[in-house]
Amino acid sequence: MDFVGFLKESTFGSLNSIFDMAKIVIPLMIVMEMLKDLNILDKISDFFKPVAKFFGISSESTFPLVIGLIFGLAYGAGVIIESAKENNLSKKDLYILIIFLVACHSVFEDTLLFVAMGANGFLLLPLRIGIAIVISFMASKILDKININKNKLPEHIL
Amino acid sequence: MYKESLFRGLNKGIRTTWELTKIVVPVYFFVTFLKYTPALSWVSNFFAPVMKIVGLPGEASLALVLGNMINLYAGIGAIASLNLTIKQITILAIMLSFSHSLFLETAVAKKTGVNVTLILLIRISLAIIFGILFNIIL
Repeated sequence: MDFVGFLKESTFGSLNSIFDMAKIVIPLMIVMEMLKDLNILDKISDFFKPVAKFFGISSESTFPLVIGLIFGLAYGAGVIIESAKENNLSKKDLYILIIFLVACHSVFEDTLLFVAMGANGFLLLPLRIGIAIVISFMASKILDKININKNKLPEHIL
Repeated sequence: MYKESLFRGLNKGIRTTWELTKIVVPVYFFVTFLKYTPALSWVSNFFAPVMKIVGLPGEASLALVLGNMINLYAGIGAIASLNLTIKQITILAIMLSFSHSLFLETAVAKKTGVNVTLILLIRISLAIIFGILFNIIL
């Protein structure tokens, strides 16, 4: 085995990739922190209110949806549990939020990292958001049919 | 206030880069090591028949396995170290966007009381369906 070749390729290759990703991740995090501080998130959530209607979920659900979409699933789920306690989100709200967010979360970071690797971001981002909308809409119809809201929420959320 | 968010963003960006480094570098070394031994072609030959369905070479299975078992960063590390075409990278990106870090993220989703089997079923089927679809389209 060409050990020197292996070390060279691994070291330079991995550092190069990290550098490509750092160029994207650091500015992105700065922009996202600014979004948080300028209360733009509330405005974006308001913009999403018609979307909530489309899915048949309460308008309080849009804030956790936007948070998860931008900042990721772990953060989003935390905000979902918090909003569920504060605003009495229904079981349907929870299901739609989670179904949407497992298919589509931290969209900017994920998409840009793949773009740094060479993927087509103009395809990736709309596809991911579009499909999340389609399956959430389908789920919303199914959940209405089986009348999910008659079920109780898990105890730790009540 | 601007300064504060700038500082916090910078801090978070550097921390995320460090998280990336901790995972991408070992994965890159691991996959490159396989490349320098016959092991990568064994893996490649073994997975080639299944991976052909989504238009990917057998060795791209490493990115899918690492991405789903560990996290997206590990999948990205594998992508970076393999020699893939733009089409192949885009297909992998689509598949991994829908389905990644299954252990960790399913645990997170479970906390909200949503059915875990349903979540896994949705994510894995989306990855496979769109992998097949975009192999045909692209």
